[in-house]
Amino acid sequence: MEKRECIILKNATLGYKKNQEDVIILKNIDLSFYAGDFIGIVGLNGIGKSTLLKSLCGLLPVLNGEILIDERNVNSLFLKDLAKKIAIVLTEKIGGFNLTAYDVVAAGQMPYTNSFNRLEKENLTIIESAIKICGIETHQYKLLNELSDGLFQKTIIAKALAQQTPIMLLDEPSAFLDYASKHDLFLLLKKLSAEENKCILVSSHDLDLLLKYCSKLLVISDNSIELIDNASAKANKAFLEIGGGFI
Amino acid sequence: MERNTNIKFLVLICLLVVSCILSLLYGGSEHIDLGELSSNNFIFWHIRFPKTLTAIIAGCTLAVAGLILQIIFRNPLAGPYVLGISSGASLMVAMSILAGGSLHLMSEFFIGKTFIVLSAISGSFLITLLILGISKKVNSNVVLLLIGLMLSQICGAIQTALEYFSDANSLKSFVTWGMGSLANTTNIDLAIYLPIALICLLAVLFFVKPLNALLLGENYSQNIGVNFKTSRFYLILISSVLTGLTTAFCGPIAFIGTAVPILSRMVFKNSKQHLHVISCLLLGSIILLLSDAFANSLIKNISLPINMITTFIGAPLVIYLMFKNKSW
Repeated sequence: MEKRECIILKNATLGYKKNQEDVIILKNIDLSFYAGDFIGIVGLNGIGKSTLLKSLCGLLPVLNGEILIDERNVNSLFLKDLAKKIAIVLTEKIGGFNLTAYDVVAAGQMPYTNSFNRLEKENLTIIESAIKICGIETHQYKLLNELSDGLFQKTIIAKALAQQTPIMLLDEPSAFLDYASKHDLFLLLKKLSAEENKCILVSSHDLDLLLKYCSKLLVISDNSIELIDNASAKANKAFLEIGGGFI
Repeated sequence: MERNTNIKFLVLICLLVVSCILSLLYGGSEHIDLGELSSNNFIFWHIRFPKTLTAIIAGCTLAVAGLILQIIFRNPLAGPYVLGISSGASLMVAMSILAGGSLHLMSEFFIGKTFIVLSAISGSFLITLLILGISKKVNSNVVLLLIGLMLSQICGAIQTALEYFSDANSLKSFVTWGMGSLANTTNIDLAIYLPIALICLLAVLFFVKPLNALLLGENYSQNIGVNFKTSRFYLILISSVLTGLTTAFCGPIAFIGTAVPILSRMVFKNSKQHLHVISCLLLGSIILLLSDAFANSLIKNISLPINMITTFIGAPLVIYLMFKNKSW
């Protein structure tokens, strides 16, 4: 199968704006990600993993250069179309207002509903299957505030699944999961990238999990950002530094 | 679950009909018996009917404005009154009455009213933007409410100062209006009040999708295809028009905007906002109609201020929620 480029960064400088001034986090990046890629993003705290993920889905501005999603500039796409291409899982907490786990997963189908957000039969089927895949059936009608951190994380992942996008970006999705759920999650992501040809980028500090399941690693360090094969990771200086001698 | 919802709505509709009748019959110093409706024709059509209709519109507009504000600020205690938005509108009305008096705008009825309504709307819009700016600097829901209270104190202080410079005529209309009252709206006023309120409330129905998305916060709502900043701007505009409009005609009405959406979430344990918009319309009208009937029949021949009753409903609810520290 020919590999299709779905994310391209061209000389992109990323960061955020504070009081009209650019705060640069990552500079002059040239990268391409393909459909079917399952890429682990590694780097120390504060190095720019979240910034990269947020920039890829248009939540942060591209300060210089450009990011192309399916050959279209990420900032020129309509939000509604972008929502059908990229789903994101962030680390932020949400809740209150009677929001249940089911409501959050259902929100994943919002790009596909009419302007009154009416859920048709096919929407409901997709929502239910996302809930089932993430194993939160018994908790789906609980309020978000009542969920444990791990179940909350699974709920957000189910939302991203329900969004049915060819690209999924996950920011430290394994942070609050128990040991078995971490492996379940990475197995699931691997399966999605292999069987549904999704491009999946996941940042994590669980280096052993990334080594075990991902196809490639994006290693971000102070002076470089490089995409390496999993097999060559243990020969990579930057990766070993992030591992701190424990890998 | 669906059936339960339908039953609850049916009950609310029945309650609305009952409270309409109660308000029409007991909503004034003179009680009307059903039998003497024909002889009381003038009181009924020119005093009681506009008052009841005003209560319904005010209840609907304030409740929906409160619902929108609570979602925008993601703060279940927010509302036009507690955030000082009503006071901002009041201050602008006071200023416009003063300025209008000296500019002789008030002699022409429609120009005068339009001027007042527009000032009230701009007042509530400005305060909402100010509070929104402040809300980015503070993390605590309760601190935001305190700042809102301070803002409303400041607006109140300026308003008091203005009263010293006004002539006897304007002063009288200030004071009666500033206490909040449903009784000052005439049938001609309603010809302005009702259509604008209806248009805004209809517009809200087209924003239920953004309202649902906004519950998930800025980042997630953007990611599911809803433009956070644009939707927020339009929603603030709508809620400002709703608040300003009602404040222009009835003065600042306390706590309805805060209490009704909270009650709605208690009644419908659900996060679907199209449902809450409709239930806020029903509950807002019911509570304001009943408060009005109650204010007029508690002590014989005396009409208590409506704000006294609504405060007794709203304030304990806010305190209760602060204690429970649970987001409804």
